[in-house]
Amino acid sequence: MTEQHADTSVLFVSSRGNADADGSIERPYDSLDRALAAIQDQSERQNGDHVVPDLKIVCIERPGGKLRPVGPARYRFFIDPYQSGDAPDGSEAAPWKSLDQAARELAVLHRDGRLTLQPGEHLALARHKVFAATPIERKKKRTEWIAQSIFCVMAFSLVAPVVAILAYLTYQAWPALTAEFLFSNPVEMGRAGGIWAPLVGTFMLVLVTMLLATPIGVLAGVYLNEYAPDNWVTRIVNLAVVNLAGVPSIVHGLFGFGAFVMFAGIGKSVFAASCTLAVMTLPVIITSTREALASVPRNFREACWNMGATRWQTIRTVVLPNSISGMLTGVILQVSRAAGETAPILFTGAAIFLPVPESGWESFLPFGLDQPFMALSMHLFTVRTQIANVPESMQFATAVVLIGLVLAVNSASIAFRVYLRSRKKW
Amino acid sequence: MVTSSQPVSRGPRLSATLKSPISSRDAPMPKVPTTAADPTAKIAFDDVDVYYGSHKALQDLSFTVRPNTIFGIIGPSNSGKTTLLKCINRTLDFVPGARIEGRVIVDGKDVARMRNVLPLRRRVGMVFPLPVGLPMSIYDNVAYAPRMAGLRNRVDLDQLVEKCLRQSALWDEVKDRMQMLGTKLSGGQQQRLTLARALSMRPEILCLDEFSIAIDPVTTMKIEDVLIELKNEITIVLVTNLVQQAHRLADDTAFLNNSRLVEVGPTERIFTKPEHQLTLDYVSGKFG
Repeated sequence: MTEQHADTSVLFVSSRGNADADGSIERPYDSLDRALAAIQDQSERQNGDHVVPDLKIVCIERPGGKLRPVGPARYRFFIDPYQSGDAPDGSEAAPWKSLDQAARELAVLHRDGRLTLQPGEHLALARHKVFAATPIERKKKRTEWIAQSIFCVMAFSLVAPVVAILAYLTYQAWPALTAEFLFSNPVEMGRAGGIWAPLVGTFMLVLVTMLLATPIGVLAGVYLNEYAPDNWVTRIVNLAVVNLAGVPSIVHGLFGFGAFVMFAGIGKSVFAASCTLAVMTLPVIITSTREALASVPRNFREACWNMGATRWQTIRTVVLPNSISGMLTGVILQVSRAAGETAPILFTGAAIFLPVPESGWESFLPFGLDQPFMALSMHLFTVRTQIANVPESMQFATAVVLIGLVLAVNSASIAFRVYLRSRKKW
Repeated sequence: MVTSSQPVSRGPRLSATLKSPISSRDAPMPKVPTTAADPTAKIAFDDVDVYYGSHKALQDLSFTVRPNTIFGIIGPSNSGKTTLLKCINRTLDFVPGARIEGRVIVDGKDVARMRNVLPLRRRVGMVFPLPVGLPMSIYDNVAYAPRMAGLRNRVDLDQLVEKCLRQSALWDEVKDRMQMLGTKLSGGQQQRLTLARALSMRPEILCLDEFSIAIDPVTTMKIEDVLIELKNEITIVLVTNLVQQAHRLADDTAFLNNSRLVEVGPTERIFTKPEHQLTLDYVSGKFG
């Protein structure tokens, strides 16, 4: 009797219909009353069936007239079997409970003359969609999607420069990148030979720097986070740490020259340069240590104190084991910074070129702690700007070794952190 | 906590009562005789004030706790109950800006004059409302305090751990998984673990701060039985939001409101014939 559009049934009504009607377009009902009676009749037959179809009653001029309802419905009513409100009026806010009730109420409205359909108009009776999104909810979802996309694009745009730098450097350096380049010492002011001596210099530099900076930084961080009372002295120390982190590296270089090379009388050497780099890396190590410690919930500490553990026992048994991964991350990230910096070592010990013996153990370990040295970053600067006629590929190869060293250290730190995180216990 | 949005049919408006100092509303507080000199008292508060910065968290607090009793402390939130406990084992030291005046006397000794507080904290076990499983195994959790106090003998430790876990009604649930992380236990189990940890120091005094809010009623009853048993050996200070729990367990009860001690006395009297209208209202559930 009805034309089915998926979940929507359409009934047709026409003033020229006749009694032998079934609501189809060819044989429409002759009045709205009759159509409503048919709906009521049908809903009674499928008694208890809660599946309420969306229903349209379309008024057409004559049988077989215009097929589809055009434009918005003249009337719009709602049905919701799960609605619990009383005094339903068919509106969206107070929908009728059943098709049966809807048909009866509509008949009443029609009789009162408050519901009439002209040809071309239609009445829609819809299942109230409880979970339909409101415009605000649709907007929220759209905004959420936009925000997420922007963040995602920004995150991935970080990867592009890294890949580009690595690819370009490797491509340019490829002819010179050999094991021999890595393991032989530079000759002719760096125009030939390899990169071993600067590599060893950088390695020593970083090692000594970390040996100096890590204990001081970590212990200072522990003190500041665990012991220091919140008073003006602590605040001044905090201020000093923050400001130290903001000092340009070339200024650190000058400071190191004055303090370590001249005043302390160490002279231009690996040790003086390491001291300078240690001063430079300290603030970040302190800060990352404090952050790692602060990430351990205070509850744990209070529980221990309440059991008569001292602050140190608490730190040793509960706080440090759970914050060591964060601390190490900070420390190791500073390794790569120390390896890459040029300015602080420029005045404090790094040489443009040092002749290295061709054989003997000194060719493997060319510098002592108290001697000037060559470092990768300085060497790169030298072969690029200070020495003429250095093959391009060798310049790029130096850069690749430097960046490779830094990336290797960072990767190791990430792997180590993942390992420690997996042992984290809450 | 009572709010002014709940009008009370009878008596003065409670919000007004709560905000105003007790003395202006009720009869002047009879000063509880200072029993600090009383050598039988386990804990004695002698005119104690506690400040957090300029905020007064406790005011004119004086009472004594008899040995081998359960001392109940009831009162609406923010009335200073937890602060009171922190005075006893001096963990108030760890709160920045906290200051204490007056004397808190434990076993005849003024805690403020103790140069080494560790013996005090060993003697005073403390359980706080939210369970804190330390990030280590269940065994290590319970063995933590004894180890920190220097106990190394494995056999002694094993015995102690089992005893404490049994006392806190947790043994049967964890005896087969002692190496599991304490933090992986459920909230209620962690709270019992906390209790076991507090007992592991074999304290003289056990302070419980609303220990049952994270525990189911059955376990709560079990632990309450344990507490009554423990009373033979130790003194218990029980802060609770459940007035009935104080009624069930406490020998003496103190009612705190608005940083002041309203009333203290034998539990039976506090619950049947309190001297103050406010106490009666609170214990009969008219507010709080």
